Amino acid sequence: MSNMRTRNLIAAIILLLLCAGYAYLTANLPTRAIENTTQPSFFPWVVTVCMAVLSLALLAQGLLPLVSQQAPKAFDVPAKRLIYGLILSVAYFILLPTLGFLAANIPFFAGLMYLYGERRPLLIAAGSILISLVIFYLFREGFQILLPSGILQGVML
Amino acid sequence: MNPDIIDGFAQASQFETILAVAAGCFIGLVVGMIPGLTISTGIIIVLPLTFVLEPEISIALLLGLYVSGMTGGSFSAILLNIPGTPSASATAIDGHPLARNGEAGRALGIAITASFLGGLFSFLCLFFIAPLLAEIALKFQSPDLFSLVFFGLTIICSFAAKSLVKGLLSAVIGLAIVTVGQDPMMGTHRFTFGQVNLISGIHFLTALIGLFAVPQLVDNFADMIKSKSGTNGAANIKSVLPKLADLKLMRLPVSIGAPIGSFLGILPGAGGPIAAFISYDYTKKLSKNPAEFGSGSPQGIAAPESANNAVTGGALIPMMTLGIPGDPVTAILIGALLIHGLAPGPLLFIENGEFAYGLIFSFFWANIFNIVIALIGLRFLVKVLVIPRTLLMPTIAILCVIGSYALRNNFFDVYVMFGFGLLGLAMRWLDMPIVPLLLAMVLGRQLEEHLRVSLIASKNDVTVFFTHPFSLFFLCLAAASVFWSFWAEHKSKQKQEQLEI
Repeated sequence: MSNMRTRNLIAAIILLLLCAGYAYLTANLPTRAIENTTQPSFFPWVVTVCMAVLSLALLAQGLLPLVSQQAPKAFDVPAKRLIYGLILSVAYFILLPTLGFLAANIPFFAGLMYLYGERRPLLIAAGSILISLVIFYLFREGFQILLPSGILQGVML
Repeated sequence: MNPDIIDGFAQASQFETILAVAAGCFIGLVVGMIPGLTISTGIIIVLPLTFVLEPEISIALLLGLYVSGMTGGSFSAILLNIPGTPSASATAIDGHPLARNGEAGRALGIAITASFLGGLFSFLCLFFIAPLLAEIALKFQSPDLFSLVFFGLTIICSFAAKSLVKGLLSAVIGLAIVTVGQDPMMGTHRFTFGQVNLISGIHFLTALIGLFAVPQLVDNFADMIKSKSGTNGAANIKSVLPKLADLKLMRLPVSIGAPIGSFLGILPGAGGPIAAFISYDYTKKLSKNPAEFGSGSPQGIAAPESANNAVTGGALIPMMTLGIPGDPVTAILIGALLIHGLAPGPLLFIENGEFAYGLIFSFFWANIFNIVIALIGLRFLVKVLVIPRTLLMPTIAILCVIGSYALRNNFFDVYVMFGFGLLGLAMRWLDMPIVPLLLAMVLGRQLEEHLRVSLIASKNDVTVFFTHPFSLFFLCLAAASVFWSFWAEHKSKQKQEQLEI
């Protein structure tokens, strides 16, 4: 089985499961007792049917060897780096509300620089601190967007 | 003369608006020329800054970015043989060989001038066609509007997808996402799971940032590993002003590229790359020296460049008059207008005529500033190509996070953005196009509203969509579009099979 057919098969199964979940939630939507009107669940049902039909079509594409489908390489990146990137991002998003934008952005920026291939520690330190500071103050003072300071509350200007 | 035209011109010619256009053009040229950054990403980065600006100034800034982003894409295509934007792919065919022959300045001058002429032509189309189309669109009733939006969705899927099933699935996922939040007719909460943040639905721009920016950051990650250098290189450029002989040579390609670009811009989903390649092909066929094409022909640069810039004005026509985006950038512009409480569509010319014409004239100024900034500042602008991507990409990542937060001052939107980023990666893995999902998110609410209003008004009689002439016309177009996509997909598979044999 070619690579793309496997991907189609996996995606079709996931989509069918999502479709079933969506249909269940749609069936439980409240109804309104108004005459000659469409219910709030009307459009979601239309979407459910379309999604089910198209997911089945994708499933068929995955099962039937109609044409050979060579999957294009989605990302030409070593899996290890992708995983590190994902871990860094998840850690950043979890810590962001507590640390605040500036304190969280600096290590995130530095981590990304490293992942993008920068190995000079001085440049990483200077780049991450300076750019994070500039962006933070540009938005907070220049565009009046209230970016939370988090743990640096009271320390920053 | 319509007083809105004069007021619109005055509005677009105010100092702040002009300054915003110029700033947008500058940013657009920079964004366009950096390989790996698309115009959509550029707009996403700038968008949070526009929240605090007046609507006319915000849109002027974004229009400047849109127009110049198209031109900027040709710079890296010519200098490095790496198109800065997909629309500049055809420009590289002749632009880079000319630059390699030591005529980089000449190639860039031709590209900039052709972009200007194409943009100017599309401005005229926008100025004359948009108000007429808006007037016709005012006659549309709910069934017509439903069929129009439906047609918009089908044509987008057919253009955006290598596989029709995946294109349509992408659109359906977008429609499912749109159903989260308050029901547009009765205000019933749907799929909110008790989350207050979901009552107003998932913000289109949050989804957009995640869907576009995250896969692009990963893409650049791949490019960095390949190039190792982490910079894009730059070139020394002498004079960029085109000579009279070159201007004469540009007559044919511009007269082909500008109308083709404007026309294809009007069609939702066609976009710059298709217009550029079609114009290139026609110019080559009609040129006196077709053999020169591919080895540095000035006509081969002028044709795609005039076409891709003409697309910008064309794409604004359905956006402004029908509320249907012509491409992802105009979809973002719709989102930006909605943030400022302005709904694009036929009523824009009636209720906010001054603003509508102001937008059209801002587009005119964007084309003027595009050529001025590009010609004067080119030597400085190409230095941007040496900015290390190790600094650029993390900066974009941070700007995307802040942009999502700034939308509603809410961490929830940041998480939603990240979630959509992961969805974007999954869709890339599946080779499923992102654009139909995005456009379904823009058009989904309208689609549901018009569908339900039509059914309520006709007492659930579905024939209403076939008895209204406009509606029937759009449904026929939608059917033709789907049929054409199936046929095109079938043909392409047949070709692939023959090649394998």
